[in-house]
Amino acid sequence: MGLLSIIRKIKRKEKEMRILMVGLDNSGKTTVVMKINNEDTSVISPTLGFNIKTLTYDKYTLNIWDVGGQKTIRSYWRNYFEQTDGLVWVVDSSDLRRLNDCRQELHNLLKEERLSGASLLVLANKQDIHGALSPNEITKVLNLEALDKTRHWELVGCSAYTGEGLIEGFDWLVQDVASRIYMLD
Amino acid sequence: MIQRLSDLHNSPKPNPPSSTTTTFLTNFFNSKLSIESQISHLHQTQSTKSNLDTISSSISDLEQLLATNSYLLPSYELRSCLDSISNLKSSLNSFVPRKKFSFKNKSHFKNPTNPIARKNVVSEFEKNEIFSEFGKNPTNSIAQKSVVSEVGNNENNEAVNEFRKSYDSPGFEDRENEVLVKDFRNTEVGEFVLVNLEGCEVRLIGCFRALFVHKLKNCRVYVGPVHGSFLIEEVEDCVFVLASHQIRIHHAKRCDFYLRVRSRPIIEDSNAVRFAPYCLRYDEIDEDLEKANLGEESGNWGNVDDFKWLRAVQSPNWSVLREDDRIGTICISSSDGAADC
Repeated sequence: MGLLSIIRKIKRKEKEMRILMVGLDNSGKTTVVMKINNEDTSVISPTLGFNIKTLTYDKYTLNIWDVGGQKTIRSYWRNYFEQTDGLVWVVDSSDLRRLNDCRQELHNLLKEERLSGASLLVLANKQDIHGALSPNEITKVLNLEALDKTRHWELVGCSAYTGEGLIEGFDWLVQDVASRIYMLD
Repeated sequence: MIQRLSDLHNSPKPNPPSSTTTTFLTNFFNSKLSIESQISHLHQTQSTKSNLDTISSSISDLEQLLATNSYLLPSYELRSCLDSISNLKSSLNSFVPRKKFSFKNKSHFKNPTNPIARKNVVSEFEKNEIFSEFGKNPTNSIAQKSVVSEVGNNENNEAVNEFRKSYDSPGFEDRENEVLVKDFRNTEVGEFVLVNLEGCEVRLIGCFRALFVHKLKNCRVYVGPVHGSFLIEEVEDCVFVLASHQIRIHHAKRCDFYLRVRSRPIIEDSNAVRFAPYCLRYDEIDEDLEKANLGEESGNWGNVDDFKWLRAVQSPNWSVLREDDRIGTICISSSDGAADC
C-alpha cells in the first residue's frame, strides 16, 4: 500500500473535499465564500494571495481555496491544482467587456491535466445587477457546450450580494463530487 | 500496528524457514497455475465482466499472500513471484476493455489523422502567439496560419460583441472635450461604463451598483457612492473623485485618486498615481453615502496594495498626495459646472 492510498483512505473517512475557487479579478470569489459561510461581506479587499475556508456542508467537510484573480497573481493558480475535487469558476456577468478574457482564462485552465477529473461549477455571479447577462447567455459566451464530454459541469446564476443561487450551485458540486469519489454510500 | 508487532513477537515459528518457503512456493505456484488456466479459458469463451472480476480478485489475493510472506522469502524467489504476478496482471489487462479507467482529457489529440482535429491542435498551441500578433499586421506565415485556424474562436468573439451591442450597458463612450452629466437619483441603473474619453469632465450623481472605466485620457471624473465595485483600466493624466466598496486600478499613469473606500484599494501595472481622501459634495450626498454604507471615512484611501510590488517597503508606483497639492472640495450639480467650494 503506497502513501497515496493511505492518504486517500483517510480523506475518504473524513469525507473531505478540496474545492478551488478561481476567476478573473472583481468576479466576487471571496464574497461568494464569505456569504456561504455567513460572514460579513461589506468589507472585502481584493485578495492578495489566497484564503482557505473549511466548512461543513451536509456530511462533508469542504476545504475551499479562494485564490486571488488579479492578473499578476493568476500565474500562481497552478500551485493550487493538485488534488482538487471541485473547481468553481466565478464570472462577473455584468462585466461585458472582459468576457473574452474570461473565456480564454477558463479554457486555458481546463487544459490543465491535474484538473481533468475535477467537477466544474460555473457561477454566473452578480445576477442582481441590472443589465447583467443571463445564465443562458453566459453559457453561450463562455462556449461551455464545447467542453470535453467527460467533464462534469454545471452553470448556475447567482448573486453573492443577496446570496441567491449559491446554495443551489454548491449542492450540485458537492453531490457531483460525492458521487464520483464516495460512490454515494 | 502495536497489535501487529506484538503478534509478530509472540507467534511461535515452529517450521524452519526453508519448509515455510517451500510450502509457500507450492501454494503460490498452484494458484498461479489456476489463474493462468482461467485466463487461457477466456480465450475460448466470451469474456464477461463477472469472470474478469473474479480473476482480478484472485490475482490480488495472490499478491496479498506474497506480501504477507515476503519477509521470509529469499530475495530471488520474491522477485520472481512479483514478476509472475505482474505478468498475470498484464495478460488479464489484455481482456479488459480498453476504455475502462481511462480519463479522456484531450480527446482531439488521439485522432491526429482527422484533419479538423489536427487543426484544433494547431490552434491550441498557437493561441498565445495569436493574441500577441493580433494587433499587428500578420506579415509572417505563422501568424497568418494561426489567424485562419482561429475561426472558431473568432465566431465566439462575435457572439460576445453581439451581446455587447444588443445590451449596450449604459454609459459614455467615445467622447472628446465634453461635460458629461448623469443623475442616477430615481433611476434603476446597475452598472455604468466610461469608455474612450478624452479631455472630458464626467459627473455621476446618486447611487449605483458598479462602474467600469476603460481608456480615459486627461479627464476629470466625479462620482457619487458606488454600491459595489469600481474597475479602472488604462487611464492617463486623470483626476478621479469617487466612493466605493472596492476599487481596482490597472494600467494607470499620472493619475490622482480622491477616494472613500471600505476595503483596501489596489493598483496593478500602474505608476505615478497619487491618493487622497474623498472630497465631493452635491445635494443629499450624505444620505446617498449613508445608504451605500459609506457614511464614515474608513481611512482606507491610503492603504493601497500594489500587486506589482509585493514587498514590505513602500511601492515606488504610488504615493499619498501632499495636502498642499490637493484640490479643494468639489461641488457638483446636474446643471452648473463643478467648482471649488
